[in-house]
Amino acid sequence: MSAPAPAPAAAPPALEVRGVSVRFAGLLALDDVSFTVAPGTVHAVIGPNGAGKSTCFNVLSGLYRPTAGTVRLGAARLTRLAPHRIATLGVARTFQNIVTTGGTVADNLMLGRHALSRAGFTATALRLPSAVREQRAHLARAREIAELTGLGNHFDTPVTLLPYGDRKRVELARALCLEPRVLLLDEPVAGMNAAERARTAEVVRDVRARLGLSVVLVEHDMGLVMRLADEVTVLDFGRVVAHGTPDEVRRDPEVLRAYLGTGTGTATATTAVTKEDAT
Amino acid sequence: MSDLRSLVRRRGSLLLSALLLCALPFYLDAFWLRIGLFSMAAAIGAVGLGLLSGTAGQLSLGHAFFLATGAYGYVWLAGEPGPGLPPAVAAVLAVLLAGAAGGLFSPVAGRVKGIYLGVATLALVFLGHHVLLTADSVTGGFNGRSVPPLEAGGFAFADSGPRLTVLGVPFGAEERLWYLGLALFALTCFTARGLLRGRPGRALAALRDSETAASVMGVHVARYRSAAFVVSSMYAGLAGVLLALSFRRVVPDYFSLALSVDYLAMIVIGGLGSVAGASAGAVFVTALPLLMTRYADQLPLVATPGSGDGAIGPTEASRYLYGAAIVVILLRAPDGLSGLAGRARARLRRRPPVTGPPGAASDSESSEESGASGASGASDDSDDSDPSARAKEHTP
Ligand SMILES: Nc1ncnc2c1ncn2[C@@H]1O[C@H](COP(=O)(O)OP(=O)(O)OP(=O)(O)O)[C@@H](O)[C@H]1O
Ligand SMILES: [Mg+2]
Repeated sequence: MSAPAPAPAAAPPALEVRGVSVRFAGLLALDDVSFTVAPGTVHAVIGPNGAGKSTCFNVLSGLYRPTAGTVRLGAARLTRLAPHRIATLGVARTFQNIVTTGGTVADNLMLGRHALSRAGFTATALRLPSAVREQRAHLARAREIAELTGLGNHFDTPVTLLPYGDRKRVELARALCLEPRVLLLDEPVAGMNAAERARTAEVVRDVRARLGLSVVLVEHDMGLVMRLADEVTVLDFGRVVAHGTPDEVRRDPEVLRAYLGTGTGTATATTAVTKEDAT
Repeated sequence: MSDLRSLVRRRGSLLLSALLLCALPFYLDAFWLRIGLFSMAAAIGAVGLGLLSGTAGQLSLGHAFFLATGAYGYVWLAGEPGPGLPPAVAAVLAVLLAGAAGGLFSPVAGRVKGIYLGVATLALVFLGHHVLLTADSVTGGFNGRSVPPLEAGGFAFADSGPRLTVLGVPFGAEERLWYLGLALFALTCFTARGLLRGRPGRALAALRDSETAASVMGVHVARYRSAAFVVSSMYAGLAGVLLALSFRRVVPDYFSLALSVDYLAMIVIGGLGSVAGASAGAVFVTALPLLMTRYADQLPLVATPGSGDGAIGPTEASRYLYGAAIVVILLRAPDGLSGLAGRARARLRRRPPVTGPPGAASDSESSEESGASGASGASDDSDDSDPSARAKEHTP
């Protein structure tokens, strides 16, 4: 009934963040943050540690309710919805600190299919044909996504037995299993080696091109950001300090100050960025 | 190919244990059948609790309340005073009633998490016990009520009705109920396994491991928490009906906090989150006190019931024993009997099969066997003492 194959690449609606503020007991983690993720683009959100990037993701996925401001996906107002409702609108995310659940890779990926499947307690308990058929179809699609993300050989391996890089990829695959229209990636390559990074970057580029989804990317690896992003928003102490294409942002003095404290060492930063870019 | 072989092997061992369990009433006397019957009822309840506590990570001390709802629900619905419905209808309604009782609790069960739910459900047991004692017209008060036998299509699961002899063995209440218990236990395993391997089970396990991950992947946290509670209550209700039928009398004192704790012990000993484990734990916790009562005179330090010479009674002694079992399991094998069995099986597979002791790799149903296979030898010493006297250990 519900075909588990990816939907045709209808452009996702724009994701609009307007005036979002989040306050934690005295600390303003996000201060009047606004940006728009244009349909089908990769939008990077960068900034030093503690800038509020993960907090921003928690607002987008409904885990935190902002003190002020709204987030809209097309006509839907995400800031009013619970996380599971946001998921059913096609917003999927990964976490900075890996948050996988127990069981095998397959179990995790099938959790990603949860929002797309229907089988309830009764149908599953009685193993009604509809539930069995649905499960089989979704399992096949999950396996496809595992292959796509390079987890094909580990499909039935318990997640806890996988090395760090693979577990990180399980999260990416699980998010893709939601067939998202908007994919939120919080430091997807942190802690990975060069080969793993390249592979993850390849996957992100690939799914973006094939499925036409929007990607919001938080990442400290500037090389990756510069290669993948269409647009970049820079946060510092919860405020947007710069915004533009990767090239514009790279030259922005505000950005250099945010990353390096003061204006000194401008040259080093620029060269560091360009060098990473070349690899 | 190895997949196919393991499938055949698993199907084969399932069939074999099913045959064995079906054959037992021809060899065992009523005492052992009763132990089996209580074990099957407990296993059904334990599987339900395992779903809630093992899979969804929600502690419940209120299981006795739902067992009581099922048991008393059946007695009232099928009995007099009560609507006097056909017993089969009453049994089904009693299960639904237990589910509805679980549903009424869902504002709490959906929001309160883990160990805090345990505290919240504690109140249910005391409330339930109080109601059972005071609502005389429905529950019969302190002395309880006798249980109307289950009848379906003119066939009674009791000693009453036309005599039934199968292959020269007279089929009394125990023999008949044995097959009912087996069928219900099989139904429980079938449905619970289906749930665990399907979408709801995965969502519940995800909730247990990370509420955050589950919710951003689309799991409605509160709804699934309360659904787990309802489903677990329904299994408890089914177990309650079977217990009532086996006891033939329901009394309030049986459904105490200690019973809830017994069920937690079952799933911890068996291994959280596994149907086979919960069943094995249920057999262990159920059979132990009954066996100790029976063999009290041969055991050191254990008083024979009624002797009152200051030693420990068999029921307490068995509580100490499985208390110790829990401690050992928590320290040495936190995944319980099912984890131990799984590891033994894995080791057997890796080594040449000659070295392994036969039957070390137990399956879900072999746990039932083990309770009974030890039994078949012992039953030869023609024990004709009134078996119901043993069961009274449970019904004060
Ligand atoms: N739940 C919370 N309660 C209190 N303070 C919080 C909470 N979450 C985040 N913060 C604070 O908000 C600020 C922003 O944190 P956030 O995790 O969003 O930063 P980040 O940009 O993701 O940093 P990093 O690059 O280190 O991941 C930090 O000062 C952090 O300590
Ligand atoms: Mg962060």
